[in-house]
Amino acid sequence: MDDDLPTPVILTELEKGVIEEIKEHGGENIDRCIQCGKCAGTCPVALAGFPWFNKRLIHALGLGIREEILDVPSPWACVSCNKCTEICPRDVKPFEVIFALRRVLVEELAIPTLTMEGLRTLYEYGHAVYQTTYPETRKKVGLPEKPPTTLAYPEALKELRALLRETKLDEVGLIPME
Amino acid sequence: MTKIGVYICHCGENIAGAVDIEEVKKYAETLSNVAVVRDNLFMCSDPGQELIKQDIKDGLVDRVVVAACTPRTHEPIFRAACEEAGLNKYLFEMVNIRDQDSWAHWHDKNGATEKAKKLIKSGVAKAALLEPLEESYVEVKQAAMVIGGGVAGMFAALDLADMGYKVYLVEKDPSIGGNMAKLDKTFPTNDCSACILTPIMVQVATNPNIELMTYSEVESVDGSIGNFKVKVRKKQTYVDWSKCTGCGDCVKVCPSRVPDEFNEGLGERKAIYIQFPQAAPKKAVLDVGACKECGGRKLGTPPEINEKTGNPKLAPCEKVCKTGACDRSIEWNPEGEIVEVEVGTILVATGYKVMEKKNFKEYCPESPNVITAMQFERLISATGPTEGELVKLSELPKLKKKKKKDVKLEKPKTIAFISCVGSRDVRYHTYCSKICCMYMLKEARILKEKYPDLDIYIFFIDVRTPGKDFEEYYTYCKELGIKVITGRVSGIERVPEGERLRVRAYDVDLQSPVELISDMVVLATAVEPSDGLKELARRLGINVGAEGFLKELHTKLYPVETSVAGIYICGCAQGPRDIPESVAQAKAAAAAAAVPLAQGKVKVEPLISEVDIEKCSGCGICAPLCPYAAISMEETGGKYRAKINVALCKGCGVCTAACPVKAIKLHGFTTEQIEAQIEALGGE
Repeated sequence: MDDDLPTPVILTELEKGVIEEIKEHGGENIDRCIQCGKCAGTCPVALAGFPWFNKRLIHALGLGIREEILDVPSPWACVSCNKCTEICPRDVKPFEVIFALRRVLVEELAIPTLTMEGLRTLYEYGHAVYQTTYPETRKKVGLPEKPPTTLAYPEALKELRALLRETKLDEVGLIPME
Repeated sequence: MTKIGVYICHCGENIAGAVDIEEVKKYAETLSNVAVVRDNLFMCSDPGQELIKQDIKDGLVDRVVVAACTPRTHEPIFRAACEEAGLNKYLFEMVNIRDQDSWAHWHDKNGATEKAKKLIKSGVAKAALLEPLEESYVEVKQAAMVIGGGVAGMFAALDLADMGYKVYLVEKDPSIGGNMAKLDKTFPTNDCSACILTPIMVQVATNPNIELMTYSEVESVDGSIGNFKVKVRKKQTYVDWSKCTGCGDCVKVCPSRVPDEFNEGLGERKAIYIQFPQAAPKKAVLDVGACKECGGRKLGTPPEINEKTGNPKLAPCEKVCKTGACDRSIEWNPEGEIVEVEVGTILVATGYKVMEKKNFKEYCPESPNVITAMQFERLISATGPTEGELVKLSELPKLKKKKKKDVKLEKPKTIAFISCVGSRDVRYHTYCSKICCMYMLKEARILKEKYPDLDIYIFFIDVRTPGKDFEEYYTYCKELGIKVITGRVSGIERVPEGERLRVRAYDVDLQSPVELISDMVVLATAVEPSDGLKELARRLGINVGAEGFLKELHTKLYPVETSVAGIYICGCAQGPRDIPESVAQAKAAAAAAAVPLAQGKVKVEPLISEVDIEKCSGCGICAPLCPYAAISMEETGGKYRAKINVALCKGCGVCTAACPVKAIKLHGFTTEQIEAQIEALGGE
């Protein structure tokens, strides 16, 4: 299987307090889950074949599995469709649990390179995705070089950077934010 | 010439789906003596019954044959319809073309139709020979017996007593209370078991209409509804209960110790003991097998006299007894005493026991830290061996020392629970024991609330919580941090350091093999019928199912009745169930058992045997064959002749078949009627 679980998993050696950590980071309802599996049936992460889809992840976190999944790609594969939260019969809000886990992972600096790149670009340009070839392309088709966003309005970018500096991002020091 | 009406039921699709009703109708019209043939979607419905009644009233028929479902549930309905229309109800014959035909031959429609024809032909042949019969009545003894003094038996006894009937409550243990008295708390409300049960025990013990017969067992049962004669053996207590005040002085001084049954073997009791502190009646019992006969004080012998003082040399128990209840000089009869009581109805509520851990080799039964859930109840109970203090079982032997010096007993840090141990298991019991999911959650919850740092894992096949407030209880347990794992434990291994246990399982939701090191493992072992239930059922003449529990007359419609009129069942003797269900069923059974008592007299069906004195040769072959002891040989005119007690005869027909001179007639099943049926079945 495409994951890094040791076999067998020694339950009594797993971390304590993982549930509480997830709750603090926004996954308040994680312990309402009874593993019915309804979320997994609709989850694009599960459909795409990622091993740590919502249902399994929720159970694993409940047991105290944390270290073992710090580097797995699955939590970053969530496309925020929110379908799981819409249909969950126990109001677990699986999507919120996944995002709580992402926050935990960010604090642990356990995030994929692509995400890092996105964050850096966001701080620098106000866009998570930005390519330096954009102005030239725009010019070719007769558009102004800069779109009417943070790119055209440095004051707005300043404000955005101020906001970002107020978030956990600054504390974590994941990207340079002078 | 008789005029037989044949009424064919479609039973919705149940019969009509396999049997060609039109063809059968046409065939029935050709049978001799048949005057009318009709059919209906549901013959038992009001319009269906009306067809029969109208034909009788119109003088079209004087015998009725209904070809439908089972006479077990529907014969009384059609007999009543005949009677209402003015026809003697024994001029009715029922033919079962559903259970014995359409259901059995669902895929062979031609065969089913042909079989229906034959069965109806046979029924018609018998109906032509039916004779009108009259019912008789017997007086009902205004008393009931309840066998088993657990929560079900106690509630049944209380209800019957409150209705004004005398109740004999027979309990095999020295005290009433049953398994519930052993429990710590009870789901789903977590009220303390003793707190809600002991007041009921007091009510039972003090109710003037209830006669407690504890430490007693049913020896034999004779008679039938209205007049059961029950012999009860009061086991020997070796203590005069009329004098015993339950002070417990004898218990304190007794030096002999044996494992305590009430504490499921976790603690010890004395040879002379009171079953538990809240016992009702609170009386001492001497376990002679464990008695050491202190100072050579053999039972039934006068004491030696001390030459110096002139005082008798007494055993410690006798010496401290202030009332003389404990007297070893008496020649106690080890067989106890047989008491015979007469009752109108009997209610069986003998409860359950749980399987012992020794059966499950894969779960390391040799470890003291592997225990059954019932043992665990005693461990966490305030009346248990540790007074409710949670300790590792391997620490229990230190308990004796603790009382001398302050020995610290190690507490478990991790506890694992395993569900379905012996249940849903073809090697032991195929059924679900029903209460285990909830009591495991309850035990885990009690622990987690008291010791929040304790790690608790429950291994389920699936969590079954069908009951009022049960699912909410489960959700609450999850939120408390109790870890629920889907996947039965495969094996347990003893870890020598610290007497711990390695528990191996596969976590279905994690999709991975898992292991844990646990200090204790609690096995939710299967609920089983109490010891001796089969034998008791044999004595009562009631049925036991394949799984060993008592069989109700009908699963849905007669759930507390049995195949023997006047005998009722409730509680776990009928199958695993929780306390609310046991109490509800007990009250239902009490209500059912009160009906014949309230009626004061019950009908005796005329379908019983009768001896033709003229034909009887007095050979006596029939008398010992009768399973109900209804036949006696009595002198008439200087000759012995068989005589049948109508109240005892059940109409089984054994005597009729055995009589060499055909002197015994079984009404409703006469030799002529049965031969006519057989002949009809055999012909073309």
